Amino acid sequence: MEFLYSLFSFLYQFGDAFAFLVLSACGLAVIFGMMGVINLAHGEFILCGAYVSTSVTHMGVPLPLAILAGSVAAGIAGMIVEVAVIRPLYKRPLDTIVATWGISMIVTQGTLIVLGTTMAGSGTPFGSFSIGNYSYSVYRVVLMIMALVTLAALWLMFTKTRFGILARATIQVPHVAEALGVNTNLVYSMTFGLGAALAGLAGGLYAPTMTLVPTMGSSFMVEAFVTVVVGGADIFLGTAPAAVVLGFIKATLTSWQGQLAGQIGMLIAVIIVIRILPRGISGKILKERA
Amino acid sequence: MAILETRQLNKHFGGLHVTGNVDFALEPGEMHCLIGPNGAGKSTFFRLILGEHMPDSGHILYDGSDITRNKPFERIRRGISVKFQVPGIFKELSVRQNLEIALQHHVAPLMLHEEIDRLLEFLKLSADHMQLAGNLSHGQKQWLEIGMAVALKPKLLLLDEPTAGMTPDETFATGEMLQELNREGMTLLAVEHDMAFVRQIAHQVTVLHFGKVFAQGTIDEIVADERVTAIYLGEADA
Amino acid sequence: MSHPSRFTAFLKLVEGPQTLGKGPKFWSVFALVLLAACIYPQFADSYDVGNNVYFFNWLFMAMGLSLIWGYGGALSFGQTAFFGVAGYAYGVLTINLGDAYGLTLVSLLLAVGISALFAAILGYFLFYGRISGVFLGIVTLSVTLVLERFMAQTAGPQWAIGKARLNGFNGMGAMPSLTIPWPGGAIVLYPDVTLYYVTLALLVSVYLGLRILVNSRFGNVIVAIRENPLRAEMLGYDIRKYQLITFVIGSALAGLSGVLYTSWGNYITPASMGMTAASLPIVWVAVGGRSDLTTTLIGALAVLIVFQTLTIYGSQYALVVMGALLVITVLIAPRGIVIALSDLLPARKSKMKGEV
Repeated sequence: MEFLYSLFSFLYQFGDAFAFLVLSACGLAVIFGMMGVINLAHGEFILCGAYVSTSVTHMGVPLPLAILAGSVAAGIAGMIVEVAVIRPLYKRPLDTIVATWGISMIVTQGTLIVLGTTMAGSGTPFGSFSIGNYSYSVYRVVLMIMALVTLAALWLMFTKTRFGILARATIQVPHVAEALGVNTNLVYSMTFGLGAALAGLAGGLYAPTMTLVPTMGSSFMVEAFVTVVVGGADIFLGTAPAAVVLGFIKATLTSWQGQLAGQIGMLIAVIIVIRILPRGISGKILKERA
Repeated sequence: MAILETRQLNKHFGGLHVTGNVDFALEPGEMHCLIGPNGAGKSTFFRLILGEHMPDSGHILYDGSDITRNKPFERIRRGISVKFQVPGIFKELSVRQNLEIALQHHVAPLMLHEEIDRLLEFLKLSADHMQLAGNLSHGQKQWLEIGMAVALKPKLLLLDEPTAGMTPDETFATGEMLQELNREGMTLLAVEHDMAFVRQIAHQVTVLHFGKVFAQGTIDEIVADERVTAIYLGEADA
Repeated sequence: MSHPSRFTAFLKLVEGPQTLGKGPKFWSVFALVLLAACIYPQFADSYDVGNNVYFFNWLFMAMGLSLIWGYGGALSFGQTAFFGVAGYAYGVLTINLGDAYGLTLVSLLLAVGISALFAAILGYFLFYGRISGVFLGIVTLSVTLVLERFMAQTAGPQWAIGKARLNGFNGMGAMPSLTIPWPGGAIVLYPDVTLYYVTLALLVSVYLGLRILVNSRFGNVIVAIRENPLRAEMLGYDIRKYQLITFVIGSALAGLSGVLYTSWGNYITPASMGMTAASLPIVWVAVGGRSDLTTTLIGALAVLIVFQTLTIYGSQYALVVMGALLVITVLIAPRGIVIALSDLLPARKSKMKGEV
């Protein structure tokens, strides 16, 4: 029995790490995979989602709707950023990193100036359950399910919907898509908006579990970065398997040595992986298949 | 002894065989053209020789030694040089500096500028030596890259469609440049589509088709070969 | 410079296609600026002079980033990580070794060496793994952020190396300043006029040294890699080696900044590696014009001074301005504001035909 308790405890930790990696990375991964742009303001879209959903909760709106509102707000903000800043820089990937970094600075500090050093949270819902001697948060389990739902929804979106098919066509052969009458600019805007909305979703989902401060975005960044670096450009062949592997490493080290050790271990693993698989897991898989 | 030889060279991406058991030999001093319909595996074959791709099986022998597992820059240092299809030049640097970077490896500092001037003249770029390379015309960019490849004083020069996008006059002038290099002892292997150009320079022609050596001979023999005409016609039909 | 041929020999080394400033006019201005910098302490309060060394401290890091990013084309967000590593290393070494017998100078060299070693290990995995351009940025940023978090939790007596307590979030203090052993009494480099001259001399040497480096054969190869890595490799260069060496030199300069800063203020904190700190070098270098050492220096100094002035009115606003400056520079003057302004001058226009 003791063994089963520990096993469950580990699975819970793994699921928690996996969910955090998937949710914090998928917005970054969609934008990088589809547009080749690394969005350093990713953390600030997470911030946007968290702040908007929490404020809306304070107005009495139920949590699921509030999270949706946070996600939509981040998505709209993302589309504005795409038009104003990203679009002129498509051919200069390093410059988009720098520009989105500038946006990140403005938003973090702007939030601090306008809204102060912290915002009242909404509290984690659903309480807890216990197995063996440990108690677990129900909401964390909901987050794990949400991570899987998000992956499934993205898969459906990119394979079954008109937007998904147009988006993939635009990314693979932009000039052909354009010749066929696809408004490629709109597709790019919507893709960036989608990535930002996913970041907002992560922010909304994790807002009830965190202290809301203007720099909270940066606490997602390391996880998001390493997942995308290991995963490479494809969200299904890359991000998801990367989150499994990294989640395992992180859960093992966290339960052994604590949170920070989990993070350090993950980062070292990633740096070693780069030496072996420079194009990430999906690059490796795609190379085998192509 | 052949300067370059491939034995049973294989490369596939997933299920697709891009080159299948290619046996190929190139004699020193030869000017050899590689032709074939699109997708015949010509570019992949070049990449394998350069080490940009690693073969799945087979061997590449250069100048008597096996270079199959060598890194690209190691192959270059042994005397292979390449001109890419899309001009690979340093756009933000001057023409002169482009050549300097290619030459500085093996030319003594005191001789460097004299050597650059000689190359500039050969490439008909003397007047433009201080221009940014990115501002040259397309044909001039192609010449500049040929110049950079030649600057290494290679024994074997690989050219991937060296005349792509050139006017007929520029193409002819390029042919003369290459012939001059060949007279000085350089072995050349070119992928080329322009049959007039192939006729101008090639001693021997190899036809690749579906990643295999399909036919080999002089240009007249190849043109007379009905099977070769058939695969090209087949492509025209498709 | 009484010997004209020696002067031309010197020019041959420091001038070349990779640096904009050249010719008698440029070097006359350079000499004037240097002269002004030299006589400035005679006209200012020694307390202010010592304080202003602060600005010089950062310029090494800026020039290092110019080398890695502007010349080498590799965007590193790791400058502050190497800054912090060297700063902490200097603190730990000097607190344990003391300041006698020139040991602070040995510590300086060791601390810079440690940051260079750290850069070499990290860079080996990244460059020999042939990581693509955008990933280099996010991996170096992740390393920086994790390092900050690690140092921030080193509170408590168990986190000590010898006599040196790391002190977590509050940072490490009370390390001795750089001290030069001298007959008749060691010279302690407190923030005042002596430190000013020492740092200025170091700055000029590093600037000239880097000019020699980027205009050498080595410099030719690193800009070639920036322009077209495949072509550079197909000219027979082992590009991974060149990228790694560039990265180590640039990062070691960040380490030098870290040591100078730590010795200057007798203080180093984890925040010096955080997100905000990591963003500032990018702003300094991008705004001035990263692809040239001189414009980087001018830009970095100008931005530092503006930032410091704004901080008087509230550092929160200063950071918003920095962010905006960065976005605007990238959109409107991607080669940097100093270069964009000089492009506007008609005389220059014909000379610089690059992209605008």
